[in-house]
Amino acid sequence: MLDRPLVVSGELSWLGGDRLQRRVDHPQQETSTIADGEVTQQRAGKSPRHFSLKRAPQLQVLLDSFVALLSGDAARLQQAFEIRQGGAAAGAWTLTLVPRDARVAKTVASIRIDGYAKASRCMHMQEADGDLAVDLLGPLAAQMPAEPTREALQALCQSAP
Amino acid sequence: MRRGARAALLIGWLLALAGLGWMVSQRLHVSTDLRSFMPAPTTPDQRLLMEQVGEGPGSRLLLLSISGQSDEQLAALSQGLAAALKNDKRYSQALNGSFDLGALDASLLPYRYLLSPTLDTQPLDEAYLADQLQQRLDDLSSPAASLLKGLLPRDPTLEVLKLAELWAPAKSPELREGVWFSPQDEALLLVQTVAAGFDPGAQQQAIDGIRQAFHALPGSAGAKLELSGPGYFSVVVGAQTRHQADWIGRISTVGFIALLLLAYRSFSSLLLSALPIASAALAGIAALTVAFPEVHGITLAFGFTLLGVAQEYPIRVLSHRRAGEDAVHSVRALWPLLLTAIASACIAYLAFYASGVNGLKQLAVFTIVGLLVAGFSTRYLLPHLLPRRVRDVADMRWLARARDVVDRLPRPRWIPVAVAVAIVLMLALAPAPFWQNNLAALTPLPQDLLQHDARLREALGAPDVRYLLVLQAPTEQGVLALSEQLQPRVDALLAQHAADALELPSRYLPTVALQRERQQELPDRATLQHALDEALQGLPFRADLFQPFVDDVETARTLPPLTPQRYAQTPLGQRLAAMLVERDGHWLGLGTVSGVHDADALQALGENTNGTVRLLDLKAASESLVVDYRTRILQALLVAAILLVLTITFALRSLRRAWHVLAPMTLATFLVLAVERVAGVEISLFHLVALILAGGLGLHYALFFERDTGDPAEQRRTLHATLVCVLSALLVFGMLAWATIPVLRAIGLTVSLGVAFHFCLSILMAPHARQD
Repeated sequence: MLDRPLVVSGELSWLGGDRLQRRVDHPQQETSTIADGEVTQQRAGKSPRHFSLKRAPQLQVLLDSFVALLSGDAARLQQAFEIRQGGAAAGAWTLTLVPRDARVAKTVASIRIDGYAKASRCMHMQEADGDLAVDLLGPLAAQMPAEPTREALQALCQSAP
Repeated sequence: MRRGARAALLIGWLLALAGLGWMVSQRLHVSTDLRSFMPAPTTPDQRLLMEQVGEGPGSRLLLLSISGQSDEQLAALSQGLAAALKNDKRYSQALNGSFDLGALDASLLPYRYLLSPTLDTQPLDEAYLADQLQQRLDDLSSPAASLLKGLLPRDPTLEVLKLAELWAPAKSPELREGVWFSPQDEALLLVQTVAAGFDPGAQQQAIDGIRQAFHALPGSAGAKLELSGPGYFSVVVGAQTRHQADWIGRISTVGFIALLLLAYRSFSSLLLSALPIASAALAGIAALTVAFPEVHGITLAFGFTLLGVAQEYPIRVLSHRRAGEDAVHSVRALWPLLLTAIASACIAYLAFYASGVNGLKQLAVFTIVGLLVAGFSTRYLLPHLLPRRVRDVADMRWLARARDVVDRLPRPRWIPVAVAVAIVLMLALAPAPFWQNNLAALTPLPQDLLQHDARLREALGAPDVRYLLVLQAPTEQGVLALSEQLQPRVDALLAQHAADALELPSRYLPTVALQRERQQELPDRATLQHALDEALQGLPFRADLFQPFVDDVETARTLPPLTPQRYAQTPLGQRLAAMLVERDGHWLGLGTVSGVHDADALQALGENTNGTVRLLDLKAASESLVVDYRTRILQALLVAAILLVLTITFALRSLRRAWHVLAPMTLATFLVLAVERVAGVEISLFHLVALILAGGLGLHYALFFERDTGDPAEQRRTLHATLVCVLSALLVFGMLAWATIPVLRAIGLTVSLGVAFHFCLSILMAPHARQD
């Protein structure tokens, strides 16, 4: 659909419980909030758009994985995903989450989280239609290239800090 | 009559009955549509009501809920049921929430540019496209990406979404697994039947069809399907009423047979005396099938009630038989009086025929034919069949004592005056209102059904059945234009919360004129391509990504505007068809209203429109119709009363004797009315019909008590016959009076009270006892 990747930057914050906020600063101001099973999208100068979380399974996945990861809730993670752990040398690790729910798997094939030592560095969401969304987390976010490629991001995520 | 001749007569009679029965079974079409029993509507609102009461979009709606399994299974059942019903001719619409985006048929997709309001304010130029494409890019990086991705190449301005938003119910239920769900975890569906809402017969078929389709689905065994809506209610009410009437009927039939066996101690007499009634019923129906193409179910129900009078004819004959006397002789002595009773009843019912109301005409034909057949077969056929030897009831000792008691009762002359004064007092003191205009109050629904309905209606945002906003114009397009004009005012009212939602027809289809205007705004291919290329500058979209969009716009430029006819094939088109009706050479648009908070504000929409826009309150219109109907019945009754006075006076050839017959009957009738009113009963049509039946029975009592034969034995027989008649009527209708369904109770209570009052007053006001 696009002939080059789309890069946005901003902040993803966990508001506690099942609430997640995603603020985008570049290229357009936009705030999305997931709370109480509903997604609210707010753009500067536009009326907010609401839709049910149930209509966007990939957000449910995002919510599940993030909240579980951030709160250290292994049971919840186990419940929603089949987990494969890969550990490379020298403190680098990879966690691959495959949604257990067949319906969710129709939109989100898998989530991969790359980390080093105790910090998560990247989150890749592989959508079932081939699109890939890569989130650079923490300090790595500042290193996002202006014109990224899959390969370059891959290398960046798996490099040691 | 010789034995052989008797057998021949019996066989001939039975064969004739069988023949009539066969004819009835071949020709009888029972209509259950309540409207065909209603009087011809006179005001425009009433006429609309008659059409809309059954056929309006709201009243044909069935609300379905499926519960008891996991969301996923329920959603699969919901999809399966909707798919099955969509292919069934009995349903014009089956919605389960999955129509949101698919509502516009693929072949109609290019029409989105003519249907959506975007082009009214915004040309498809470079600036607009650039802004839209930028927004889509943001969408792609946003949580909404997967919702919109599929639409993008064909519809970068998201017209389909705008239409889906425009068409979505004001308050649409939550979507899970792609279908509607209630907060109580039930999958929800809306089904519109082709059949009219208040045609219980047709609704029963539609509901059976839904249940069959549901049970045919795999996995439906563990799930529970529940229905609601006006059509379902009419079926439930009909079944409940029938069920209660049936078991009461069974008990009272047993009691009735036992009573007659006790009274006459002859099984053959009992069986034979059923023949005139059976003949009356069959002949009455046969006459209806000849005179009318369709017979109304209510005619039959009322008719059988009124035919209860005919039961008296054989009873009189049986009671008045003397030992050793041929039944033919007994009946000959009785005939002048019976004939007077039959003739006066028939002449009175003629007034019903003259009322002009189809249902009452049918009632008149049925009862007049029935009474004549019952009377004449009792006179000319039955006596030849009755066993020759009978016990003379006049010899029974208890009867002689009873007659003594009756004869010795004080009969002060002031009785009629006292009763009349009591009636006037009671009527004056009775709590208002006098009349019950709400037909639904007679067949109330169980509370849990109403709560379930309210809950589903709330969850689905389904329209109210009570109010309709009616738009009138000479043409279909005129209605749509009116609807377009009205939309801003309606929007303002909704913003003020006068109602939760008000759907106008133009919401689903703009006028041809507006569609053409929008078409004019569409750029040609070259212009659009140029604008698109410019807008795409600097954006990461693939260059050829939007080819389907450019093609669709080009197609839309030359499309013939969408008309309701062309639209009719789609689900939304059928929704629209239910909102546009042609009548008497002009067109009506029906706006459905949900959650009315301020009816007056909605009413105000119709001001200064010369009646082209008006809020129709179906409840008020139906009540005014009931009032009209009652007026017709009361007029018919008045004429019937005058005819009755004339017939009785002529038959008895004495004003004084006529007074002795008619005075107790009239007083008793008003006494029933007064007692019911003082007890807080509001009088309905069913009470009136029951009063007429009681009046018919009372006429018999008065006629026979008034007869002065000078023969004490004959007087005893009269008392015996009357007692059997009164007891059997009290038995049958007294049982009905215990029914929990108000309509049955109304009939039972009225007739029971009537029979008791008629009996007492005709004894107390009988003239000859005083002359002894």
